[in-house]
Amino acid sequence: MFGFLKKVADYTRDAADAANYLIQGLAVTFDHLRRRPITVQYPYEKLIPSERYRGRIHYEFDKCIACEVCVRVCPINLPVVDWVMNKETKKKELRNYSIDFGVCIFCGNCVEYCPTNCLSMTEEYELAAYDRHSLNYDNVALGRLPTSVTTDPSVQPLRELAYLPKGVMDPHDVPANQPRAGQLPAEVLKSLSLQQDSPQGDKRESLQDAPDQDQPKG
Amino acid sequence: MVTTFATETSGLVSSGLDLELSFSQSLQGLGLSPQVAHLLWLPLPMLLVLTAAMVGVLVTVWLERKISAAVQQRIGPEYAGALGVLQPMADGLKLLVKEDVIPVRADGLLFTLGPVLVLVPVILSWLIVPFGQNLLISNVGIGIFLWISLSSIQPIGLLMSGYASNNKYSLLGGLRAAAQSISYEIPLALAVLAVVMMSNSLSTVDIVAQQNGAGLLSWNVWRQPVGFLIFWICALAECERLPFDLPEAEEELVAGYQTEYAGMKFALFYLGSYINLVLSSLLVAVLYLGGWGFPIPVEWLAGWLGQSVDAPLVQVITGSVGIVMTVLKAYLLVFLAILLRWTTPRVRIDQLLDLGWKFLLPIALGNLLITAALKLAFPVAFGG
Amino acid sequence: MTIATSTELICFLVLGAVVVLGSLGVVLLGNIVYSAFLLGGVFMAVAGLYLLLNASFVAAAQVLVYVGAVNVLILFAIMLVNKREDLKPIEGLPIRRLLSGGVCAGLFVLFFRVVITTPWAVPGPAAIGVGATERIGEHLFTDYLLPFELASVLLLMAMIGAIVLARRDVLEVDVGTGDAVNQGLIEKARTPLLVDKSTP
Ligand code: SF4
Ligand code: SF4
Repeated sequence: MFGFLKKVADYTRDAADAANYLIQGLAVTFDHLRRRPITVQYPYEKLIPSERYRGRIHYEFDKCIACEVCVRVCPINLPVVDWVMNKETKKKELRNYSIDFGVCIFCGNCVEYCPTNCLSMTEEYELAAYDRHSLNYDNVALGRLPTSVTTDPSVQPLRELAYLPKGVMDPHDVPANQPRAGQLPAEVLKSLSLQQDSPQGDKRESLQDAPDQDQPKG
Repeated sequence: MVTTFATETSGLVSSGLDLELSFSQSLQGLGLSPQVAHLLWLPLPMLLVLTAAMVGVLVTVWLERKISAAVQQRIGPEYAGALGVLQPMADGLKLLVKEDVIPVRADGLLFTLGPVLVLVPVILSWLIVPFGQNLLISNVGIGIFLWISLSSIQPIGLLMSGYASNNKYSLLGGLRAAAQSISYEIPLALAVLAVVMMSNSLSTVDIVAQQNGAGLLSWNVWRQPVGFLIFWICALAECERLPFDLPEAEEELVAGYQTEYAGMKFALFYLGSYINLVLSSLLVAVLYLGGWGFPIPVEWLAGWLGQSVDAPLVQVITGSVGIVMTVLKAYLLVFLAILLRWTTPRVRIDQLLDLGWKFLLPIALGNLLITAALKLAFPVAFGG
Repeated sequence: MTIATSTELICFLVLGAVVVLGSLGVVLLGNIVYSAFLLGGVFMAVAGLYLLLNASFVAAAQVLVYVGAVNVLILFAIMLVNKREDLKPIEGLPIRRLLSGGVCAGLFVLFFRVVITTPWAVPGPAAIGVGATERIGEHLFTDYLLPFELASVLLLMAMIGAIVLARRDVLEVDVGTGDAVNQGLIEKARTPLLVDKSTP
């Protein structure tokens, strides 16, 4: 009898809890209603990718020594290094190099391990194509420079959240000379070296003569 | 079935005015017989229902898009008309001109009949929605019962389209939809029954009239809070709105019974679901939120302003206030449904059936019993 | 003939045709799914006939119970079972068909006779329309109380029976006869894995 009553009480408490959580959830969504939209009107406005953005890979044919390290470190052995051994010079002769971006996961291992730094990651992310085979970039396509969002005249570049001044959420209409929150890597380095020079030196001072962070990415 | 009728568009409606009479008299003035005039009159209310339902859907679709966008801090449709108000039109137009595909191995006849069977009962149910004392298409005696029985036809259409598509996702979606509909129909009917018991009538007009004695305080929601919640949950489940949108759960079933549909047939489903949402909101407003009643009775206001209730001007104002109040309440509920859509995650099918059979059904039965007891104990407050 | 009566006549003829042809289709069609959907159509047409008789409550109840519940459940059963197997050919099928057709025809003749010989009061009692709801309730709880309760007990029994049948208790032996049974269920009987069966 009492076991049954306890069951009923537990059940009622569960139901009340569920209702409570539901109301809390509704409060959250209702609160979001009055916030401003953070929409970026994409083809006309674009966010500036961050410094460490891992976009399409850039490759310099002339620097490559065909060592195939990139192939070995790639989780899927993706880069195709097409070389022949020149019997006379006893050196590898590179003929072609390609990466298929339909398969690449943009992990950046190849870039990390390339001994001659001929690979690098760009900020290009618009890789849409009508045919997936056209995503297989050869060394010519890989050697093209990405178009920068900041230099494209038809695009309004907008800063990402990390580049906005402290407390600002909306990237529209932020004055260009407002610095982003926190320090740039260069500034951190500088302040570190200042600290090493004069251990008592105030970190803050180094901020004052920091370069203008209008465009965090070059 | 068309007995009393007065349009909400005319606005010039008083309780004594019979639009049908004046319509047929003006036609008889043109030399037509009364019977022909009656025949000419018949399609008008139906057209009006269709128009009202369509406009309601267009507004709801726009609201859904805009509110969803706001909740997710987006902008939503913006370019089609001011603030994107024409976006639903554009959607409809697109569906209208799209190719109507019938899959090769599908059953063409049932495939076409399914969406129709889903849509028609919903539109027919609009007959009983009152916007004022005389502002409804048909004051049928069985009122709210007509809606309950009509909405039980829908699962057949769903099963039909699910079966005819010859697609496993469609079949599963159709079965889920039908299971959901029949399990939530019962608590829904029981919740309605409690209200009907208090107002001693199935007619929607009587149900609203019984709530409008003392304005806000006499609304059924205070006397039937549990019934109100049960009804709202069940209505959401019947409309397949988000916590209960299992029949078309995109992640599992592609689009459920709509998977194979395209063009106008898909549009029929789309229309049906939104008309159903608006209809359910209207009925919640009618059953629990005092229908066309203003929070303070209009009669009192007229009394304070020293006006007679029967004066033509007051009549017109009362009528328009009634329409505005009904629509306002309904759209508040639509807003709540949209907000709930972005708040609650989808339930699993076993949770859904558990909620229906093990939670809502016993509670609805208990609610009915308690209502009956209260009606016997306090006939004054609970409609003796 | 006024427009109202002729409309009524046309409606009656159409509904009657739907009922007759539809029920013939239910019986004669090969595809069981079509039969089930047609059954729904027949139920709707019957509801329409009630509506013509000015009995809107009965019509709505007919739609709710027969179309909304019975027919949907039939469809459910058909679609969930979905077993595609060829039935064993029944021997003497033509004779069986002939026999059942004969029984049906006899029943039809009997009804026809009853319809013809009964002195119908024309016009019948006036329809009470909206008041029907209350009248039905009154009758159900006074003079028809016993049949009403009996029907509910019958339904309860059917429900319990259905639960007993559908419960997936896997029995290895028939309770009545003690024979081994294979119920053809997906779940097989839980056979303990570690018990050596060779030693009884
Ligand atoms: S980014 Fe990663 S996946 Fe892509 S080619 Fe380099 S190592 Fe391979
Ligand atoms: S690791 Fe660098 S140098 Fe070596 S093959 Fe790859 S791209 Fe060329």
